Amino acid sequence: MSLRAGIDVAELDEGRRARSYRIATTALAYLIPGVFILLPLILFLVQSFYYVDHGKEVHELTLRNYVRFFNDAAFVPVFLRTCILCLAVAVIAVAFAYPVAYLLASIEGRRKYVFALAFVIPLMMSYIIKIYAIRAILGSNGFLNRILLALGIIDAPLTFLIFNLQAVALTLAILLLPFAILPIFIALERIPRNVLDASADLGASAWQTFRRVIWPLSLQGTVVAATFTFVLALGDFVTPQMVGGTSGMTFGRIIYSQFGFAFNWPFGAALSVVLLALVLVALAITGLVTRRHPS
Amino acid sequence: MRSISRFLLSAAAAVAATAFVAAPGFAKELRILAWEGYADPDWVKAFEAECKCDVSVVFIGTDDEIWAKIKGSEGKDFDLFAVNTAQLQRYIDAGLTTPYDLDKVPNQKETLERFRDLSKVTGVMRDGKVMAIPYAFDSIGIIYDTDKVKEAPTSWKVLWDPKYAGKVLGYDNGEHNFTITALTMGIADPFNLTDDQLKEAETKLIDMKKNVLSFYTTADEALQLYQHNDIDIIFANYGQQQVKTMLDAGAHIAYVNPSEGAPAWLDTWAMTSGVQDKELAESWVNFVLQKQIGQQLSERTGFGNTVVPFDSAKPGDKLVWLRDVEDPTRRADLWNEVKASP
Repeated sequence: MSLRAGIDVAELDEGRRARSYRIATTALAYLIPGVFILLPLILFLVQSFYYVDHGKEVHELTLRNYVRFFNDAAFVPVFLRTCILCLAVAVIAVAFAYPVAYLLASIEGRRKYVFALAFVIPLMMSYIIKIYAIRAILGSNGFLNRILLALGIIDAPLTFLIFNLQAVALTLAILLLPFAILPIFIALERIPRNVLDASADLGASAWQTFRRVIWPLSLQGTVVAATFTFVLALGDFVTPQMVGGTSGMTFGRIIYSQFGFAFNWPFGAALSVVLLALVLVALAITGLVTRRHPS
Repeated sequence: MRSISRFLLSAAAAVAATAFVAAPGFAKELRILAWEGYADPDWVKAFEAECKCDVSVVFIGTDDEIWAKIKGSEGKDFDLFAVNTAQLQRYIDAGLTTPYDLDKVPNQKETLERFRDLSKVTGVMRDGKVMAIPYAFDSIGIIYDTDKVKEAPTSWKVLWDPKYAGKVLGYDNGEHNFTITALTMGIADPFNLTDDQLKEAETKLIDMKKNVLSFYTTADEALQLYQHNDIDIIFANYGQQQVKTMLDAGAHIAYVNPSEGAPAWLDTWAMTSGVQDKELAESWVNFVLQKQIGQQLSERTGFGNTVVPFDSAKPGDKLVWLRDVEDPTRRADLWNEVKASP
């Protein structure tokens, strides 16, 4: 009996220790994102209900920042324009990323990871340097115009290449391309070889195999790629400033100016909350699509 | 590096001077808070020899840092500080400055004409007392390409000139754009605009935007845009610094202060309310207002000095000393509207 009790106590001790260890690690796992992600977001949300009066922040809860967003003629059009711009970025990036990812996935053996890495290397370069480089290529005295002039293809420099919204879309698509390639590559890479063999054995043409087998199985990765690029483009405020010229005003720049120039943090916070809501909608749509088409 | 070792040396000297009466060093001590380039080691050394005193210089990096240091010690940690005329106002409001006795600064009477009568320099006097003495300045003007623009522009209106459509480089900042637009509208005080004036300026800025290729934010960025695009006219927010950056890169450009007036910042020397030896502080200001130091200041920093003419402004150029604007938030909002307009 006493022996039995001894074992019980030992087991109980063991169990208690394991449980408190589990509780501690769980608490820590919640604490870190809670303190460093959730808390700042909540503070941001609270700040969006404050307002600024004569350069001083007034800590009174009000909806005036949100009312201003919907009522001021300047903001909603820019917001919509930005949404369309970022959708275009997502479409362009995915259209270029898919063939690249397809090519990578079709390489035999381990070499494909080396090649995939090569497409990720641009991410290690400073983003500003890449934009400067793009400006040096597209400017009216830029690399592209000089080549075209030298070859006699054009007589006067093309000016529509840069300082408009198309240039912003193109530049963002180029900068974000690696984020689109990776998820598509992973999705394509996971398709088992024998599924493709089975499709061929059943007499499907290459196009039929792509349309009926590969495309549905890679759809999830493609949607994730589009979401990545859309969301990353939404928050960007440097590219529109640098290649958008006078028409490059996007929502990100308006938010930026609230913090950098206007010193109206509450309004900037409110605009950020609006943007965050849009991002959540985009993520919800992604969730819906990927759940319906599990790979 | 130089500034740090200088700082450490002078800090060590200050400690030595205060802690050990018998230690080498002088009883008199002058404590200066200034921007890099305003109290160079050779001048400090020469002054120390002349006044038989110790000088300690602390360099600052931002306007807010000056405020933190001066306000934080209620003026007790420093005797003299360099501050621009727009910022100066809050120090005077807070009682953190001590007025000058101009008789103790005879070189002030030898300064350039625009700085000689201090009652005509906006912001440096309060209630008939001289609160600060001008030392260095630079203007915001226009840079033009001398190969493509044959006749030097004279007016801010060149930014609107359809002849240069798509060849104008603008600056991305609401405050200054509204200021220069107000100057073209003939408004005497471009820093205090009524709502109607702001609205009118906004409409004009939307017109200007149609002439502009892009808006830049830094001097380096403007240079890169200039190199890769066909640009004739630049809103030169960074004045001589920008001119130098462009000339060093081999650009064929020149600089003008437009006839309506060029907004300009003006740095001054102000004495703190906690000044320990007022006469010593005044003799430093007198010392750096020598022609030779003025010349060196301009050559080393590119900024205009107040004693010898330099590139920032010709004697007849109209300069409008920058002040705080009526409502920076409002200007930023209106500037956003300008940029968001189709």
